[in-house]
Amino acid sequence: MQTALHIVVCAGIVPDPLQTLEPITTPAGPGLKNEMVLPAVLDPWAASALYEAAVLAAKAPGSKVWLVSLGPKAKLQQVMMTVAQKVAFELAPIDGPIGGFPDAHATAAVLAETIAKLPGLDRERLLLFGGWESATRGAGVTLQLVGERLGITDQFQGVDQVNLRDDGSFEVLERVEGGKHQVSVCAGAPAVLGWATGNLAEPRNNPQVGMANMRTIMPALQKAPAVKLEANGLSYISVALPKQQRTTRVVKDMSPDEIAAELAAWIGAE
Amino acid sequence: MESILVLTHADETGAALTKASLEAVSAGIELAGRIGASVSIGIVAVDAQAAGAAVASSGARLLGVFGEPFGQARYSTDAAACEALCRAAQATIVLAPGSSRFTRVAAGVSHRLGGFIDTHITALGGTANIEASRWFYRQRIEAVLSRDARPWFLLLDSGTHAAFAGEATPAQVEQVAVQLPLIRTTVSGLRAPTQGAQTIRPDAKLLFVAGAGWTKKQPDGQTHVPEAADLILGFLRGAGASLGSSKSLVDQGSEGQSVLPFLTHLNQIGQTGATPRHPKGLATCCHGEEPHVVGWRFIGERRAVSLDANCGWTRGKADVVYVADAFQVMAKLNALIGSVGA
Amino acid sequence: MSGETTNTSSPGADVVRQTMEVDIACVGFGPATGGFLTTLSRAWAENPADPAFESKVAPGMPLQVVCYERADDIAAGVSGVVTRAQGIRASFPELNPAEIPMAAEVTGERVLYLLDPVGASRRSFTLRAADRALRAVAPVAGVRDHAFELPWTPGFLNKHGGLVMSIGQFNQWVGSQLMASGLVQIWPGTPVSEPLFEPIAAGRAVRGVRLTDQGVDKKGNPEGGFMPGMDVRALLTVVGDGPVGSVSQSIDRELGTPRGYTHDEWALGMKFVIELPEDAVADSPLKPGTVWHTFGYPEPEIFGFLYVHPERLVSVGIFVPSWMTDPSRTAYRYLQHYIQHPALWRYLKDGTLRSWGAKSIDESGKVGEPFLTGDGYARIGENSGSTNMLTGSGVDEAWTTGTQLGEAAIELLRKGLPFTQKNLTETYVTKRRASWVERGAREAQNARNGFHNGIVKGMIGMALAGLTGGRLSLKAPRHVTGIKAARVEETLKRKEAAALAVEDGRPFHDALLSARGWPEIPFDGRLLVSHQDALLMGGKVQAMPGFADHVVFPDAGLCIACDEKTCIAMCSGQAITLADDGAPTFEREKCVHCGACLWNCAPSPHGEHGNIEFHAGAGGLHSAEN
Repeated sequence: MQTALHIVVCAGIVPDPLQTLEPITTPAGPGLKNEMVLPAVLDPWAASALYEAAVLAAKAPGSKVWLVSLGPKAKLQQVMMTVAQKVAFELAPIDGPIGGFPDAHATAAVLAETIAKLPGLDRERLLLFGGWESATRGAGVTLQLVGERLGITDQFQGVDQVNLRDDGSFEVLERVEGGKHQVSVCAGAPAVLGWATGNLAEPRNNPQVGMANMRTIMPALQKAPAVKLEANGLSYISVALPKQQRTTRVVKDMSPDEIAAELAAWIGAE
Repeated sequence: MESILVLTHADETGAALTKASLEAVSAGIELAGRIGASVSIGIVAVDAQAAGAAVASSGARLLGVFGEPFGQARYSTDAAACEALCRAAQATIVLAPGSSRFTRVAAGVSHRLGGFIDTHITALGGTANIEASRWFYRQRIEAVLSRDARPWFLLLDSGTHAAFAGEATPAQVEQVAVQLPLIRTTVSGLRAPTQGAQTIRPDAKLLFVAGAGWTKKQPDGQTHVPEAADLILGFLRGAGASLGSSKSLVDQGSEGQSVLPFLTHLNQIGQTGATPRHPKGLATCCHGEEPHVVGWRFIGERRAVSLDANCGWTRGKADVVYVADAFQVMAKLNALIGSVGA
Repeated sequence: MSGETTNTSSPGADVVRQTMEVDIACVGFGPATGGFLTTLSRAWAENPADPAFESKVAPGMPLQVVCYERADDIAAGVSGVVTRAQGIRASFPELNPAEIPMAAEVTGERVLYLLDPVGASRRSFTLRAADRALRAVAPVAGVRDHAFELPWTPGFLNKHGGLVMSIGQFNQWVGSQLMASGLVQIWPGTPVSEPLFEPIAAGRAVRGVRLTDQGVDKKGNPEGGFMPGMDVRALLTVVGDGPVGSVSQSIDRELGTPRGYTHDEWALGMKFVIELPEDAVADSPLKPGTVWHTFGYPEPEIFGFLYVHPERLVSVGIFVPSWMTDPSRTAYRYLQHYIQHPALWRYLKDGTLRSWGAKSIDESGKVGEPFLTGDGYARIGENSGSTNMLTGSGVDEAWTTGTQLGEAAIELLRKGLPFTQKNLTETYVTKRRASWVERGAREAQNARNGFHNGIVKGMIGMALAGLTGGRLSLKAPRHVTGIKAARVEETLKRKEAAALAVEDGRPFHDALLSARGWPEIPFDGRLLVSHQDALLMGGKVQAMPGFADHVVFPDAGLCIACDEKTCIAMCSGQAITLADDGAPTFEREKCVHCGACLWNCAPSPHGEHGNIEFHAGAGGLHSAEN
């Protein structure tokens, strides 16, 4: 018999990674051009954390999944229209700035405060999920900071797999150098797990899951508290697109034999 | 005056520092010289004394935590060790390698010390103030930032600084006592993926990037996936290359299409994958522009085989693009390097 | 309200499908459905306790209203428009364009006749003579940059007081308000495969929709993670699925169409969103709200447009019509030549391509109006024949038909009457017939007649209809559109191009136009990029895995025997390519769902229902600035 889990997934929203991005300077610091216009998606790593959470929760009856997300309310609503169809969760939205440039410590403080106040959350059973990095800031620190603030000292990053055991303990596979996984066994919750891509395919859109989620998501969004993030002494000296442009030699008229010979010589050269 | 601490850790032997740690040491010494700061080196190892030998000639103060609990990379013990080292050094600036081990704990440690952290630092500039460079939005926007608050933790990306290469001499490492927490996690070891040879290996000289074109219909209207797999694996064997892949190719796996069986998300480079730093890269059957191409932004020399001379993956991004059928070129190339290697 | 039913009507398998009961199910989220849902949710918000808005399927709850949209995001609508916004402003009297990204009030309009500066345009003898005459008097006539500006904008084209908008952003703006209202749920990424028909005494009624199966292979066969599409049973099905929607197609096929109905006039609209350089040409007239209409180039049949949005963004594009009978129809390459016309290039040349998109426009107008209502359903928007091709306006009309159905639905709910054909006709259709949408449609009905006999006659016919409010028009017979057999030398060039496409992997449309004497495109990697690169710029094409191919060629033999292969040349995303055996192949990951293949199937005798089926599919262009 699995112990019921309380999984809180921290997930930011990010501009669809396939969009063209361009930095600009705003009165509040660096930002992205057209930030509010760019289509947003749930951060890809956090999304895998959410899907993994749903699968783990399904294995342990009585479990519950919360999604804590900080972003502009209108954007959150837009992203939820897609995400809510994937898996069942309860949303705890926070109305705040989008983007990669605010300080991670400030984000973590707000998230931790929100999680600590989640009604019905049993901190002893808490598995804190999120992405090991994000597609915005990519710092890979927010989740650790939230964990520290909640007093959790079993933390794992780059997680690709979690195997729950009947006694409440679990085995974790974390990505480490050299394309390998470090295998650990943790005695059980509470713990922090920052997910890499995991092994799950994106769940199918399920309209019934969506309908059920939306009953709580829309009211939660209406009540989302607005926050301002502290700068914590962080200042930007420059924010720019890289200018590297290579001069490309286009080779059109060589036979495969000639190309292979040239490539072999290039590969062999020091 | 700033007080710089460089946090380092041992490799799997427990008695020698990792290359990434040595890179952080040289970064710390260089920075200390430039801004006029004191520098200490903190060592997390089973045998910090032995591990310290490699950096003894640096002239820095050496601090270490010793013992079996530090032989394993684990949050609770590593965080306690790093916290103790930072307190002992009274550091205002903490540099550390962005290894999986320190990436796991450094943020938590910065919080315990009331400090702040920035990661994936690629360069440290400035004299009056430290100016740290890092990338945002998956290597698509480069920023230079600074912080007033201290202590300030900076995790350095590997490969951005030369490794410290002083002569190894017996070291005097001051032992720092650590209040060990309750250990609830045991590390059972490392597991290599079953397809060991086909992951992104940073030590390889060449990164071979396979794009989705390999599994698409070829001019005869058919797909040739088994042939593509043979050509790619043949090349990896022959050239000793590391394998990266575009997201679109890796993603096909969950689609139930016939797809290259040895590819996983561990091979993925680009927007939601790795950004490796191999000296050379060869891209085949790749297509895309800005968001995808960040996958090989840090590759040294880049060449590509593509049917589209105007492809965004190559134009302005590669040194040479060969407009040709990759199936034909790779078959010939494999024959050549096979004979060289034999 | 939900449950499970075993369905045996699907061929091949007994499939257990989930079912769900709702009051109103909408198919497609565009301006028409936006208008419908806005009208409905506003009336509800005024008094949520009004018993008229109590759900019949979930008593005690408010009306259960869902809307399913194929695209991954409701902002993924592909269109830059200029609209008089008469109906939109009626819904939003206080509308402030600044609230909607990329929207601006129309500030100025010009109509330009573009001469051919390249010499590759297929111009008739008459047109060449007229061009020569115009060039001869160029200094007096005010011909500049190979363009002649009409001294005035004809009233029927005039959009003064209207708006320049991005439909994607407008949809998003409307959708956010709808979702926040709490009455409506809009689900992107959810294609609808077909309506649910049910026999009744008077024939067949529509009782909701079936969502598309997920977890299937390209051919639709179940595989890992198979999830049969849910049956969403609804008291009212609102069909607003656009010009190539699968539910519309199915209803027309199964329940028939009115006498005289033809659905054979189309155009492919393709456009770029271009960011103008910061240091724009000093005398640049491209201020926000500027609107240019052009004709004459790159081919006489191709109309063009340029709309200026705020923040130096410009939508610039062309319409390639079905009455361009040349089998070498294509759009992308033509669009590249179009923006390089000196009259446009002067201002665009240092710009950056931000995104790109394409959509089919149903230009049949009034004659393409299907039965607007049936038992349990009503048709709104573009597929209901609302687009006015005289004024070149569709969004405002679509929106208005949606609001009319919204008012009708409220009326029936308040009276406690069911959504029968009779009741919907007496309310919705009556409102529509009495409105400006209908008047405009009638005026426009014969406005395009002349075009089947050439561009000059076409322009005369259009002017005649436009300036007399449709009272006069050319009495030219309305031709069946389609593709004329090519001349011998044309055929040879096509064969040469086809060989290039197969052997060099060169895009067919690109090879075709080069073979026809159009100059090569000087790629600059910024504004002039390959078609493949454009697919990845700003608006990326996406296709979530697990869905079947939505473009299907039922008879491969017919395709192999087809000489024209216009489907390939016209494919906006190069999703249809030519295989060695001469058959077209389809790649879902590149399809922008423009639907051009559907009406460009050359073997089709009527410009539709050819050898191509266009089903419901997920994904498409995921772009913000469209």
